[in-house]
Amino acid sequence: MSEIEWIGQTWRLRADRSVHWKTRNTLIVADPHFGKADHFRGSGIPVPKGTTRHNLERLDVALRATASTRLVVLGDFFHSRGGVTDELIEQLREWRRRWDGLSILNVRGNHDRQAGDPPADLEIECVVGPWRDQLDPAVAFAHEPAVVSNAGTLCGHLHPAVRLEGPGKARLRAACFHFQTRQAVLPAFGAFTGMKVIRPRRGDRVFAIGPAEVAEVFGPKTGSSASSAPTPDTAVDAVE
Amino acid sequence: MNPIESWFRDTVGEPFAFQRDAWDAQRQGESGLLHAPTGMGKTYAAWLPTLMRWCEDHADASAWDQQPVEPIRVLWITPLRALATDTETNLKKPIEALGLPWTVERRTGDVSATVKARQKKKLPSALVTTPESLSVLLSYADARQKFRGLQTVIVDEWHELMSTKRGTQTELGLARLRRWSREAGKELSVWGLSATLGNLPEAMDTLLGPQLAPRGRMIHGPDHKAIEITTLLPDDMDRFPWAGHLGITLLPQVLQVLEDSGSTLLFTNTRSQAEIWFNEICAKRPEWIGEVALHHGSIDRKSRLAVEDLLRRGGLRCCVCTSSLDLGVDFSPVDQVIQVASPKGVARLLQRAGRSGHQPGKVSRVIGVPTNALEIIDFAAARDAAAARRIESRRPLDRPLDVLAQHLVTCAMGGGFTSEPMLAEVRSSHAYQDLSDQEWAWCLDFVRRGGETLKVYPQYARVIEDEDGRFGVASPKIARNHRMGIGTITSDTSIAVKFANGKKLGSVEESFVGFLKPGDKFVFAGHLLQLIRVRAMVATVKKAAGKKAQVPRWQGGRTPLSTQLADAVRSRLDDVRQRGEAADDLPPEMLAVAPLLALQARWSVVPADDELLIETTRSRDGHHTFLYPLQGRLVHEGLGTLLAHRLTREAPRAVTVTVNDYGIELLSPDDLELVDRDWRRLLHRDGLLEDLLAALNTSQLARRAFRDIARVAGLISTGFPGQPVANRHLQASSELFFDVFTDFDPDNLLLDQARREVLEQQLEVTRLTAALDDLARMRLDTRLTPRLTPLAFPLWAERLREQHLTSQSWQERVGKMVMRLEAAADD
Repeated sequence: MSEIEWIGQTWRLRADRSVHWKTRNTLIVADPHFGKADHFRGSGIPVPKGTTRHNLERLDVALRATASTRLVVLGDFFHSRGGVTDELIEQLREWRRRWDGLSILNVRGNHDRQAGDPPADLEIECVVGPWRDQLDPAVAFAHEPAVVSNAGTLCGHLHPAVRLEGPGKARLRAACFHFQTRQAVLPAFGAFTGMKVIRPRRGDRVFAIGPAEVAEVFGPKTGSSASSAPTPDTAVDAVE
Repeated sequence: MNPIESWFRDTVGEPFAFQRDAWDAQRQGESGLLHAPTGMGKTYAAWLPTLMRWCEDHADASAWDQQPVEPIRVLWITPLRALATDTETNLKKPIEALGLPWTVERRTGDVSATVKARQKKKLPSALVTTPESLSVLLSYADARQKFRGLQTVIVDEWHELMSTKRGTQTELGLARLRRWSREAGKELSVWGLSATLGNLPEAMDTLLGPQLAPRGRMIHGPDHKAIEITTLLPDDMDRFPWAGHLGITLLPQVLQVLEDSGSTLLFTNTRSQAEIWFNEICAKRPEWIGEVALHHGSIDRKSRLAVEDLLRRGGLRCCVCTSSLDLGVDFSPVDQVIQVASPKGVARLLQRAGRSGHQPGKVSRVIGVPTNALEIIDFAAARDAAAARRIESRRPLDRPLDVLAQHLVTCAMGGGFTSEPMLAEVRSSHAYQDLSDQEWAWCLDFVRRGGETLKVYPQYARVIEDEDGRFGVASPKIARNHRMGIGTITSDTSIAVKFANGKKLGSVEESFVGFLKPGDKFVFAGHLLQLIRVRAMVATVKKAAGKKAQVPRWQGGRTPLSTQLADAVRSRLDDVRQRGEAADDLPPEMLAVAPLLALQARWSVVPADDELLIETTRSRDGHHTFLYPLQGRLVHEGLGTLLAHRLTREAPRAVTVTVNDYGIELLSPDDLELVDRDWRRLLHRDGLLEDLLAALNTSQLARRAFRDIARVAGLISTGFPGQPVANRHLQASSELFFDVFTDFDPDNLLLDQARREVLEQQLEVTRLTAALDDLARMRLDTRLTPRLTPLAFPLWAERLREQHLTSQSWQERVGKMVMRLEAAADD
């Protein structure tokens, strides 16, 4: 886990691709894309089952470890209307029952517009971004990157990744957190979601996600300001 | 005499013996392989027997115009769409001359919808098509009925197809057509046309399948036309680069050659090289504009066709091209061929040389243009190997399950199938003759349920089984998507390059555009362009002025040195080592590189045939270890992967591997401190397979191989042509599939196939094992060198290039290094 001070708050970056906001005891994830695999299977493309369960189990672990009382989803809760099957809803209901007291907020994303909001009994409040809590007007939540006056924005949508190079011919793409001055992009939380390699600029901070840890690979501490290639050691850690 | 034969004698001339043999064999219903160099008349050797037979059956020529149009008789499969047009024209000639009631049509991806609709009702007497389009035809429910009259299948340029997935697709299509004929009480006659290969008998067996192969007939045409291989050599070896592959140092001499002769094809190995050479020629000889053309696979089809047309009419002084002009189309006016950079293979050089001197009795001339010092040796070696007839083989593929999965869906659509007879049909092809029952069951499950258990893939179905055990396609939507996907065995995501007014220049790979920002300049299709924007798979550009520009780097430009050529290079080096540069029968190439090899001998040693040279040296980059097995890039990649894996397993250390056709560089921050005993252990063949597989888990090779597999097996939705966003919610990359299978269905056989493909095709495990055995017998010669030797330098430069430096800083750094080394050489 890595911690970053950003817009005057402390954020803990977790290897399960979530962010814990200590002050407000809130867990934040982006782009779970529930139902994506179902949608593919329904269209004749074989994607194995298990991604939904995997997503929910990772949420379980993260919520338990951080003892969060609120979950904020930065959009694209569902992937598409076609993927919202009865079985999926049943899985979500069962999971929701286990997290009875948790308050959940979804800042609608482009996929949600087509797929629709989750059924009411899942008790997920859906809002249009950028959205700000009255308690913390300096923190905004959005799906797509957006500039919000007098606030830093946490968003998703881009599924950011960095390219790391290791020994031999090993090259590796790793999902990452991408912090800019006023905007932070979270990696996609869903197990069956793609990634897009970003090109950080001077002054940005990038944290690559390995199987069990998060490592800063770009920023003032790493000394790399022009290239996204980290030292070989970081890359090895991420590979194994 | 048969009117067809008379026509041939009148228009072409006296038939060659091999043509008469081919006519007789086919008229007796035999099948086989016809082997002759390009431009020797294979087309009519294969096409005329059918017409001869028809004329015999219809002796009264005056009644021909009352005959109904002949139904489908001949299927002509060609690997390239570009060839299809030419073939169609050639097949039509005798028909039009004699007024036969026959029709010849093309069926390729670019044929108009009207023609396709007509062909859906009725096929022409002879159909010219590609492997993909044949698959599409087999996917229609009435396919069997439509092909009922088929007698003969000709597969053109089989040597090109046989070792590719499209070749396997052809094998499966043939197995189906053969079975339909046999069940109708007939025997389909199948003929392959092939250029020279090291393994012609295997090529025939692959085409005919295990049942027909023993009766196959091999017909050889006349041997290669006289081929003359010469090399342009630098006047001043001291200034000739030791490394690099774009070098245009020899441009002045090339211009001289172009000045003095007629039409020239200038072949390069990569599209980037082609762009650079075209631009340099135009810059130095502005008066030639209009006489010099550029031709490569990324350039818009219309422009390519225009260039081909000009070539055919003899209207070009020089055409700069890549493998896009390797095949087929006959350009009689071409007088000579220039090969820029190492030819990499003997067959390839012969094929390219054969594009010139088409007129009988003329010599085919090819002039080699090395781009660095070591490549000079490659040309001498290529001449040796060609003289000794050591030509490369091409290996057919073994059971690619992705192609089978695609074919099963195709057959489910094309009338459906039942398990047992379908298995027998599939096993009657060479590729799947050893398909196990388990693999068959898995494939059936894969298209039906996604995987072995219904639990893993709920809601999924592409193919469904009815109560009678008959497999059909699940829905019309799936059928439509599948048909769309059939043509995608070769295509990769590419971005169209257009001017703002909509004029299309061609296409580049997405990865290249990804590196550009709006405003950046780059060279493409012979123009200096500036990027305006990239939107919806279109890069809009405008013409730019100035000098500084990047050249796109396309994938696939890294052909490895073939075993045959690598062997010949080794012999040449060994010869120089033993006899020195004074021997009086050395070819000019070896005399030219003699000073360089003398330097190599002074700082280290020129490697002998029976020893492995290992050099170690230090630089500000770290500790370098160079090995020179001289086995070609592919084997070196395998060895490099193996060494890196074993080294990092033994101790925690960082090792960077770089390979080229000559050797391997291991770079580490600390001294590896390896002695002979360590090398023997590191290069031991025990545990090769396990180590490679373990190494693969941490590398990208399997992932890369999976890219094709995912596309062919129908995992990646290609969408409708021109509307790539229509299936937006079904877009996922092959990488994502690779991950999700690895995590959630690790027994998926497609993952297994990816590993197999990497082992056999990319790392060539068989050849790697042989190489390790060779190395075990060799003496080790370990040398500590004070600086980079002439053999080491190209590897050092190669590593820099791979580190994505911009081309300019690379040139600068390499240039400085050479100056330092040369200063040392002068001491």
